[in-house]
Amino acid sequence: MNQLALIALAVLATTLRVFVLIVLSIVSGWLLGYLAFKNARFESFYVLFIEVLESVPVISFFPIALIFFVNRIGGVLGVELAADFLVFTAVVWNIWIGIYQAYKTIPKEMLEVVENYGLGFFGRLSGLFIPFSIPRIVSNLFPSVADGFFYITVSEVFAVGSTSYSVFGIGSLLQNYLSENEWKLVYASMLVMALVIVATVFALREFSALAVAKYALDTDVPIMRRGRVRIRYSVLFSQLVSRNPLHKLSIYQWRSVIRRAQQTSFVQTKAKNRFQRVVRYGVFSALISLVLLIAYGVIEVLVTIPLDQWHSLIVSTPSLLVDLAFDYARVGVIALVSFVIAVTLGYYLAVNKSAEAIGIPLIQVLSAYPAPLYFPFVFALSFEIVRSSLGPLSVDFYVVLLGFVSTFYYVFYSFWMGVKSLPHEYWEIMKNLRLGFFQRMRKIVLPASFPYLISGISSTINSAWGGLMLAEYWPNIVDGKTLTVKHGLMKIIDLSTYTGNVSQAAWGSFIFGIVVVVYSLLFTKRMMVIARKRYVAEEGIYAA
Amino acid sequence: MTRSIARIVTIVGQPILEGRNLSYTYENGYTVFTKVDVETCENELVAIVGPSGIGKSTLLRILGGFIKPATGEVRLLGKKVEQPTPEIALIHQSIVTFPWMTALENVMLGLRSKRKTRQEMESAARKMLEVVGLQGFEELYPKEMSGGMRQRVAIARALAAEPIVLLMDEPFSHLDELTAEGLRQEIYSMLFGTESTLRSAVLVSHNLNEVLELADKVYVLNGSPATVVGTLKIELERPRNSKDPRFVEYLDLLYKYLTPVRGVKQ
Repeated sequence: MNQLALIALAVLATTLRVFVLIVLSIVSGWLLGYLAFKNARFESFYVLFIEVLESVPVISFFPIALIFFVNRIGGVLGVELAADFLVFTAVVWNIWIGIYQAYKTIPKEMLEVVENYGLGFFGRLSGLFIPFSIPRIVSNLFPSVADGFFYITVSEVFAVGSTSYSVFGIGSLLQNYLSENEWKLVYASMLVMALVIVATVFALREFSALAVAKYALDTDVPIMRRGRVRIRYSVLFSQLVSRNPLHKLSIYQWRSVIRRAQQTSFVQTKAKNRFQRVVRYGVFSALISLVLLIAYGVIEVLVTIPLDQWHSLIVSTPSLLVDLAFDYARVGVIALVSFVIAVTLGYYLAVNKSAEAIGIPLIQVLSAYPAPLYFPFVFALSFEIVRSSLGPLSVDFYVVLLGFVSTFYYVFYSFWMGVKSLPHEYWEIMKNLRLGFFQRMRKIVLPASFPYLISGISSTINSAWGGLMLAEYWPNIVDGKTLTVKHGLMKIIDLSTYTGNVSQAAWGSFIFGIVVVVYSLLFTKRMMVIARKRYVAEEGIYAA
Repeated sequence: MTRSIARIVTIVGQPILEGRNLSYTYENGYTVFTKVDVETCENELVAIVGPSGIGKSTLLRILGGFIKPATGEVRLLGKKVEQPTPEIALIHQSIVTFPWMTALENVMLGLRSKRKTRQEMESAARKMLEVVGLQGFEELYPKEMSGGMRQRVAIARALAAEPIVLLMDEPFSHLDELTAEGLRQEIYSMLFGTESTLRSAVLVSHNLNEVLELADKVYVLNGSPATVVGTLKIELERPRNSKDPRFVEYLDLLYKYLTPVRGVKQ
């Protein structure tokens, strides 16, 4: 087959995987969110389930993917499902919680209307719940796509012990070209991927614009007759995250729901109720299957480990915790650098329209381009300079750099969105009082964007592990060189997988998962509570 | 906080704030108003009234330097206004406070551009809270206050910035009628009391009773694009009584200017 056609097909396969999994996340999120909305018991389980798993980095699911999909199912299908499962766990939680939160903010009056007019399960979903959730989904779409691309290129090819597994896609194809030193094809692959990323980013921007123009009424966004809208990004995101647009949307949807309800029967049939029950149980079963799958992976590991190995695993725990401390230090540096750049560059772009028009799409394209594809080139070009200037710290520099490029945009976007959603009255007051940059930052901008910052920093911290996992042990990154750190839990997990020591990898992931969940519950959640309690800018605007 | 001698000395008859030949056109090409002249004099509260969508709030923001007009210019004590300045303070229709600051800290924000020590700022802010009737509530957060109290905080913050002109964009529209009436009765003395540096104020409203209760002069906007269709000097003693026959006469006159509503679809 023509190599260029093969590259195009591989890029298409990778892109398709990402989008199919995102669509799957959205559809399951609509159904599960509705179930959670209707059933208090399921709701508490669902929210806890997402909260815990959201804070577990994707790589923790790696042993499960290996054990269940690769070992048990096996073959092309098993490897394909393993890769898809990893990407699914990277994109799904944000989308699920976003949809659930959107459902929870539907005004009571609208719910009363749909009840009043007797809309059934699908009537409620299509007439109220789904349209109401679209702005939230749109706001989560871009980071999900970027995350999806990152993890799919990593998951398309992996090695366990002496066996290498791969599925067809640009990640695996590029790996082949690299090992065969087919540099022209490597460059061609990267170029085609870049073109697809640019097209994807612009398509997403247009889709976001259309979605907001359609579902957020009372904005300065015109709905153009031919369906194409022009929108400033500022409008887009301020409409997405503030409370008002949801209310405006609710008013809009209320009208359409009334119209629709007036055309439908007021009496629900028994058959309809039965069908709804079937759908609910189906969805519920799907979620339970996911839980069982995770539990199966854990149990499978537990029962296959001999007693003496248990002993060595437990004995290794303190050393693993020290390795984890090294990783936390790296993640801390990544978060700090991301924060500093976000609050300076993010603020500059948020207040400067012409810079924003170029800067935001550019950052979106760069952040969606999977770092694992281009990082070896960055490494090759800069290694000598970095080694001569940083010496023994040069390896850590690359680990932090990869972590940074793959997760920086979370805190950047969050802060940028926080600044864009500042009530316009606040801007007028800052101008009116002629506050300087530092006064604005200290007194108004940082406090007002605090909830966004916490959420962004928390996502950056959670996602940085993926970059660390890749960079702490990267055999043959370029010219036979291996990038490896002295201490790091991600290296241990990576190396154990590479050498086929699945129990060590699983134990490392388990220790890691526990620490991360505890950190998330103790620190991130506490910060979010403070943010919600005091730093909600919209609460400063009193409008009866 | 009392007025400085330099500030009191003005050329007799010189307007405090004046907008000449102002017009504004939206991005879609629609000219909302044109050839608007507005002028405020010493100790004068000027009101701008007109139907919804006529551009009252836009005009107010042009007077404050927040928006650039398509034509014309704004002058404060003869000096061209080209950007927002603490000398022209804006009070918003939606009541704006900062939820992470106490009432005192909210008011102190108005003093940030002044070169004052923290102690001076605090003392000035306390004084302003006293002027607006919030003595004893300094440490409350906005969420712990009623809408009326929050608007008093916003007024205190605006006055603390030592403005020469205060622009008020429907400042009572988000308050219940009783609270709004209470605040209306006090606001004139708050604005032009001895503790304030204010020389004049501009009020945008579509509550005609409110306008007649407070204003010394009323500009009526109507038409498409809107122009000033009438200017009324309100010569009624304060406190004003809405049952006073002259009050009712003014009210009728305002209704005449405003009906029929021209050019703006309701």
